[in-house]
Amino acid sequence: MTAEEKTDALARAAARFRGAHKSRIAAVAAGLAAALLLALIALTGSGYTLQFSTDILAAVTLAYGWNLISGFTGYLSFGQVSFYGIGAYATSILVLRAGMPWYFAVCCAGLLGALAALVLGPIMLRLRGILFALGMLGLARILEVVFNNWNYAGASLGLSLPPALTPVSVYAGMALLALLGFLLNAFFAHSGFGLDAMSLNEDETAAVALGVPATRVKVIAFALSALLPAAAGGLVAWNRSYLDPSSAFDPTLDLETIVFVLFGGVGTLWGPLFGATVLMLVAEEFLVYLPHFELALYGLVVIATVLAFPGGIVGIFNRFGYLRRPIILAPAILPAGEPPQKRPPRADEAPVLEVKDLEVRFEGLTALDGVSLALKRGETVAIIGANGAGKTTLFNTIAGFVPPSRGEIRFFGRDVTRLPTFRRAQLGMARSFQIPRSMPMLSVWENVVLPARHGKERQRAVEHTAWVLHVSGLAPMWRDRAGRLPPGHQRQLEFARVLALAPEIAFLDEVMAGMTVEEREVVRAAIRRLPEFGVAAVVLVEHVISAVADLADRMVVLDFGRKIAEDTPQRVLRDPAVVRAYLGEPR
Amino acid sequence: MTEDRPAALAVEGVVAAVGPLKILQDVSLVVNAGEAVAVLGANGAGKTTLLRTIAGLNIPREGTIRLHGEAIEGLPAHRITRAGIGHVPSGRELFPRLSVGDHLELGGRFSLPARRALLRSRVLDMFAVLRERIGQRAGTLSGGEQQMLAIARALMTDPRVLLLDEPSMGLAPKIVLSVFETFPILREQGVAILLAEQSLSLGLAAADRAYVMDHGRIVLSGTAAELASDSRVADTYLGR
Amino acid sequence: MLLLQLLVNGILLGGLYVLIAQSLNLIFGVMGIVNLAHGGFIVLAGLFTYWFATTSGLSPLFVLPLAFVAMGLAGALIERFLVEPLMLRERRADLASLMLTFGLSFVLVQLALNLWGSDFVSVPYLQSSYRFRGLNFDAALSISGVFAAVISASLYVWLNYTLSGKSLLAASQSPTGALSCGIDVGRVRMVAFGIGVGLAAAAGVLVIVVLALAPQSANDFTLLAFVIIALGGLGNYLGVVAASLLLGLAQSVAGYFWGGNAEYVLPYLLLLLVMVARPQRFRQSP
Repeated sequence: MTAEEKTDALARAAARFRGAHKSRIAAVAAGLAAALLLALIALTGSGYTLQFSTDILAAVTLAYGWNLISGFTGYLSFGQVSFYGIGAYATSILVLRAGMPWYFAVCCAGLLGALAALVLGPIMLRLRGILFALGMLGLARILEVVFNNWNYAGASLGLSLPPALTPVSVYAGMALLALLGFLLNAFFAHSGFGLDAMSLNEDETAAVALGVPATRVKVIAFALSALLPAAAGGLVAWNRSYLDPSSAFDPTLDLETIVFVLFGGVGTLWGPLFGATVLMLVAEEFLVYLPHFELALYGLVVIATVLAFPGGIVGIFNRFGYLRRPIILAPAILPAGEPPQKRPPRADEAPVLEVKDLEVRFEGLTALDGVSLALKRGETVAIIGANGAGKTTLFNTIAGFVPPSRGEIRFFGRDVTRLPTFRRAQLGMARSFQIPRSMPMLSVWENVVLPARHGKERQRAVEHTAWVLHVSGLAPMWRDRAGRLPPGHQRQLEFARVLALAPEIAFLDEVMAGMTVEEREVVRAAIRRLPEFGVAAVVLVEHVISAVADLADRMVVLDFGRKIAEDTPQRVLRDPAVVRAYLGEPR
Repeated sequence: MTEDRPAALAVEGVVAAVGPLKILQDVSLVVNAGEAVAVLGANGAGKTTLLRTIAGLNIPREGTIRLHGEAIEGLPAHRITRAGIGHVPSGRELFPRLSVGDHLELGGRFSLPARRALLRSRVLDMFAVLRERIGQRAGTLSGGEQQMLAIARALMTDPRVLLLDEPSMGLAPKIVLSVFETFPILREQGVAILLAEQSLSLGLAAADRAYVMDHGRIVLSGTAAELASDSRVADTYLGR
Repeated sequence: MLLLQLLVNGILLGGLYVLIAQSLNLIFGVMGIVNLAHGGFIVLAGLFTYWFATTSGLSPLFVLPLAFVAMGLAGALIERFLVEPLMLRERRADLASLMLTFGLSFVLVQLALNLWGSDFVSVPYLQSSYRFRGLNFDAALSISGVFAAVISASLYVWLNYTLSGKSLLAASQSPTGALSCGIDVGRVRMVAFGIGVGLAAAAGVLVIVVLALAPQSANDFTLLAFVIIALGGLGNYLGVVAASLLLGLAQSVAGYFWGGNAEYVLPYLLLLLVMVARPQRFRQSP
C-alpha cells in the first residue's frame, strides 16, 4: 500500500466511524423522543387518546411478532392469531381462576404461547410456502372450535372479566411489549442468528448446505414470534373486559397485522412500527367518512403493496439511502484476514472420504447403483459422465440431501451416512451448487460470514471471512448486494462460500459450466490452490472434460448410475467404454 | 443460399443467457429448406439453450433469428410455433395424462381441418406404432414411443423448420436409428431439420452438415463427411 | 336405515363439495397458486342469490348462469391485471399471489358485508322432502347436489373431450410442451382463473340453497376446498371427486353423532393430518 492509499483508507475509516457515531446519536435521540411522547400520552392524554395509543401499540406488537417468522424467516403465517387467542385465554384463566396478579399472568401467557410454538413448530415448519400458510390458517380455526366447546373457558359465551386494570397500566404494559418486539426485531436485524433466519428466507436448501441448522433456527424464530401476540392477547382481553372465541381467534386480526407489516416493509426493523402507526392513523381519519370500509381498505392496501411497492415504506426510504439494515457482523473496514488454523494431519488418519456401495432409488428408478469411492488427503478426483449418469445425485447423497437406500459414507473414518446436512457442512464437507445459489438480498459479506461463523467466536469468524474475500477476489465489492453481482462474480462467491466453511473436503459441482476460457483459467488456478487453503481433498463434477483432465489425480466415470471406470485421466480417456459412453457409437 | 431465396432458418450473432450465466456467445448458423443440420457438442456446450432460444423459450440478448427471411426473435414462444418452428424439447415435455391422439390433436390445433387430417395421416404413417397406441396415455409409453410422439406432436404444427433436442437421450441406438430414418421423408416435404446431438456418430450419420459447439460458441463446421474425418472434433469432446 | 340415510345426505353434500373443490383445483393445477379469495367469491354469489330470490320471489337457480358469467369475467380480469404481473415478475409467485388473493378476499368480504350485512342467511326454497323407499331426500339438498354434480361433470367433459379443454390440461401438465403446440399459455391462465372463479360463483348459488351463509364464512370455504384437493390429490380429478364424497359422508356422520362443531372442525383436522402425515401429497404428480 502506498502512503497515499494509506491516508485515503484511514480517512475513509474515520468517515465511517463518524457516520456510525452520528447514527448512534440519532438513534438515542429518536429513542428518547419516543419515550417522551409515550410518557406524555400516559400522563396527559384523554381516555380516548390513551385507548387509541394502546391500540396502536398492540398493533405494533403483533406486527413485530409476525415479522419475525414471516418477514425475516420467510415462513408466511396466516394464523398467528392462534397465539393471540391462547395468550388471551391463558391470562384470563390464570387471573380469574388462579388469582394470579395480571402482570404475572401476562408474562406466563407469553411464555405459554412460545411453548406452544416450540411444540407445534417442528411439525408445522416442515411444511413450506403455501402449505405452512394454510396450515396456520387451519390451526386458528381448530382452536376457535376447541374454545367454543370448552366449558371451563366459558365455551361460546366466553368469559367476562372484571375491570382489574387501569387504562394506564394496560397502556404501559403494551408499550413494554412493543419495545420488546422492537428489540427482538433489532436482534434479528443485527445478529448472526438473524442472518441464519434471513438465509432461510433467501434459499433454505443452500443455507442448510452452508451449515445453518434450519429446523432449530426456524423453531426458535417461531417461538419468539408467538411470544409477542400471546402476551399482547392477555393485555387486550383485559382492556376489552370480555373474551370469547370469535374475538380471540378473529382472522381479521391477522389481516391487519399482515397489512401493517407489508405496508411498512416486510422483514425490516422499522417496517412494522411505521406500517402500524401510519395505517392506524390514516384509518382513524378516513374511516370517519367511510365507516364500513376498514376491511376493504386494508385488502386494497395489501393488493396495491404487493403489486406496486413490495418493499413498503421502508423500501422507499432505502431507495434514498435511509434506514438501510447494517451489514451483519461487518467491521468498519475490511481487515486483512487470517486463514483458518487447522490441526496438522495425523500419520495414521483414515481416508478423508470413503463411500461404500452407495445405492439410491427414486420411485423404482436406480439413480446410483453400488458406487464406491475413496479419497486420501491431498487427492483431487473428477467425476465425469453423460447427462443423467448420476453425478449430481452422488453429490447430493454425500452432502446429505438425498438419503441412500444402501451403503455408507465415512468422513475421516466417522460414519456420517445418517447425519443431517448442516452437521456435515459444519464438520467440513462443503459443496458448491451447479447454478450459483447466492442469497441475492444479502450482501457479499453476509453470504460469506454465514458459513464462516459456525463454531467460531466472533472475531475469528470476521478474520476468516475477510481472508476468504481477499483470496477469492471479492474484497473490492464486499459490501455489495449479492444479487447485483455480475455472473462471473456470482461464481466466485459460490466458491468463496465453500472456502468459508473451512472445509476438509470440497465438492465442486460444475463450477466451470458456461464460462469463457479466460474465466475457466481463473477458477482452475483457484482449484489448484485449494490445498494451500487447508482443503485436504477435492471432488469435481464436470461435463467439460478438458477443464479437469489436468487437475485431477484420478477420474471416475459414471454411466447409468454405475461406476464404469476409475483411473488416471490419461488412461480413462483412452478407455473404449468411456469413449463409447461419451461419443456414442464406436467409429 | 441465394439472395432471392432466404434460408429456412438463419441465426446471426445470437448472445443468450440463462439467469446469470451467459450460455451462447455470438452464435451464427444457417439451415436451408430440405436440409438436415446437426449441432454437436458435449453436455453443457449450449446446444439446448440454442434450440430453446430459437423456439422463443429464451429471449436472446443480441442477434437476429430469421425464419424464411422474417425476423422472429423476441416473439412469444407460441407465436414462433405458429409461425412455423416445430420444437421437440429436451426431456420431450409430453402431457403424461393425455392420450397419444390428444397430443396430435393439440399439435394440429392451429391448422385448418383438412390440413390437420393430412398431417395426421402422414405422421401416423411415419410412426406406425403410434397408431396402435392412439388411445393410450403418453405417460405409459416406452421411451422410444415417447420420443416418436414428441416428434409427431411437433410435426402436427406443420413446421417449416423442425428443432430436435437430443432425441437419442436415454434410447437404445436401434430405436434412435429408427427415429432418424424418418428424416428423409420429412426433408422431401421441404421441412428443414436442426438436430442437437451429443452423440457424434449418430449426429453425423443423420445430417448433411454439422456445427460443433464448445462453451457456447461454434468452433467447427462443415459437411458431415468432412467432420467425420476431422480429429479436432473428438478433441473438442474429450479435451485431448 | 339410519346409516343409509346419512349416506344419502353425505353423498348429496359431497356432490356440492366436488364443485367447490374442483373450481379451486383448476386454478391450482394450471397456475400453481392457491386463490385465497375463493371463498369470497362463493359467499358473494351466494348472498347475491339470497337477495335476488327474496326480492323477486323467483327461483334462485335463475341466478346460476348469470353468476357464472359475471364472476367468470371478473375472475379473468383479476388474473390479467393483478395476478399475471406477479406470475411474470416474482421469484416466488406462489407466495406473492397468496398475499394478493388474501387481500382480495377481504375486499370481497367487505363488499358482501356492506351489501347484505353480517347475518347468516339461507334461501327459503324447496323446504319439502321426498320419501323414496323409506329414505328422506331433502329437496333443496337433492337439487343443489345434483346441479353441482352436473356442472362438475360438464367441466370434466369440457376438459377431457374438447380441444380448448385439453389445451388447458396440456398447459398444466407441461407449459413448455403447450407452447411448442402453439398454445398461448398466458391466455390459458386467464381462462383457467376466470372459469375457476365462475364455478366458485356457481357453487355459491347452490350452497345458499342448502346452508346458511354469512360473509365471514368465506375462509371456511377456501379451506374446505383446499382440504379436499389435499386429500384427493392435486390435479387428480377423480381423486378430488372421491375426497369430496368422503368428506361429505364423514361430515354428515360426524354431524349426526357429535353435533355441528364436529362437522365444522372435521375438514381442518383432516387438513392438519394430511399436511403433517403426507406433505408429498401436495406436489403435482406426473
